[in-house]
Amino acid sequence: MVIKLILILSLMLGYLNASVYQKECISCHQELPVSIDKYFYRYLLKYSSETKVKAAINQYLQNPSRDKTVMADAFINRFGLKKKSKLNQKELESAIHEYWETYKIFGKLK
Amino acid sequence: MLALKSSVIDLKHSEKKTLIGFFCLYIALCIVILIFISFVYYKFQKDFMLSQKRINLQNYANEFIVKLKQLHINFDKNQLYPRDSRFKTAIYDSDKKLIFSTLKSTEVELDNIVYLHNKSIHFIKEPESYYLGARYVILEIEDDQEWLFTLQQQILIFTSTGFIFMLLIGYFLLRLFLKPMRDAMHLLDRFIKDTTHELNTPISAIVANIEMINIDELDEKLARKIRRIDIGAKTVSNIYQDLTYLTLNNQIMSQNEKIDVSQIILQRVEYFTTLANVKHIEFNLNIEKDVFLFIDVKKLSKLIDNLISNAIKYNKINGFINVELKQNYLSIEDSGKGIKKEQLQRLYDRYSRFDKTVGGFGIGLNIVSMICKEYNLNIQIDSQIKIGTKVELQW
Repeated sequence: MVIKLILILSLMLGYLNASVYQKECISCHQELPVSIDKYFYRYLLKYSSETKVKAAINQYLQNPSRDKTVMADAFINRFGLKKKSKLNQKELESAIHEYWETYKIFGKLK
Repeated sequence: MLALKSSVIDLKHSEKKTLIGFFCLYIALCIVILIFISFVYYKFQKDFMLSQKRINLQNYANEFIVKLKQLHINFDKNQLYPRDSRFKTAIYDSDKKLIFSTLKSTEVELDNIVYLHNKSIHFIKEPESYYLGARYVILEIEDDQEWLFTLQQQILIFTSTGFIFMLLIGYFLLRLFLKPMRDAMHLLDRFIKDTTHELNTPISAIVANIEMINIDELDEKLARKIRRIDIGAKTVSNIYQDLTYLTLNNQIMSQNEKIDVSQIILQRVEYFTTLANVKHIEFNLNIEKDVFLFIDVKKLSKLIDNLISNAIKYNKINGFINVELKQNYLSIEDSGKGIKKEQLQRLYDRYSRFDKTVGGFGIGLNIVSMICKEYNLNIQIDSQIKIGTKVELQW
């Protein structure tokens, strides 16, 4: 009983300490069949640079539409468009920045 | 035995300067044109070489982009950048930020397509999709520079041939420009030659007859008249000798021998005494004995005659002429009106006269200059306005 309580408490503490990206992005994307990094490479394929990728993700999250998505039509038809983000601008930027830092190409090539 | 020298037109200082100036300008223009043509040819050949290399580079780029695409798809499993022994590569994002590079140099011109960089050729390709975020793919291959070596040889041969050809054209143009000037000089020389030839007999007759008259036997009034005729005849004779020297003697090889300059100077001073007496000019002589010079006696006399004659001609009434002769040195100084500094430069030009109040053709100092040049005599003229002129000769 005590162990269960400690486990629940530590999970709650972990959740409270988690970043916006972890809480608001990873939590939902984990449940999707397409991993979150695949979206990143699609953005990279279309927008190339850090500033352009970040700007494109930001615009899509604030106002998702079929025109702005980088995913294929079949994917949208099946899973539908994402709901508009409720995060404020600062949180959104912080989450996107962490997303970029996690999957960026710079320094990874050998 | 007398031998004729080749006839050379003695151009004036200003004319020589103009001709040299024209020739320098022409040469400079030729060089500029040749450099321009060489530069255009170099550019053309370089572009031609690059366009040939571009076909290969395009194929390499396509191969590389396929590999980049594979890497993009499998990036979560493999991060090994594709490499090829035939070329080196680099990728940049759309903000021109380097993603990865195997190039020798970090300097790239992303707005260009194909260009030479040091000893490498760079080819820039923009893929349709930005695999791994690569908007710019740069390929680098070594430039063997064989084309440059061939080009350098071609340019060297072309410029040398072109330069020689243009020099020849320049030479003919110069001759063309000189022709009217040469014609004018020849015309004047021919006129003087013809005139002097006609003067020869009457002048010889006058001088010979005056020398035969014994002045001491004549009454004072008649003796004075004869002296005046003597002065006039000597002046005309001197001009006649100058003119014949110019038109004939300067083309004759000199008959050089060891000449006692001291003796010749005394003789010439005595010859000019009558002329000097008219203006009450006093000769102050400081003549060292036994000064010898290896020279043509006629030319030495002509040289001294012209210097003394000028010293008398441009002297003032009651003036003086100082004649000093030492070993390797002769100076003739007068108390005349002097010559302006700017006129000193053109003093030796033929037919140049700065004082037209006295007679003459402006050929005296031209003859002096020619004789000095022939015998390597160093001539120096110093003059001060209203004080006098000093001519110094050193050998």
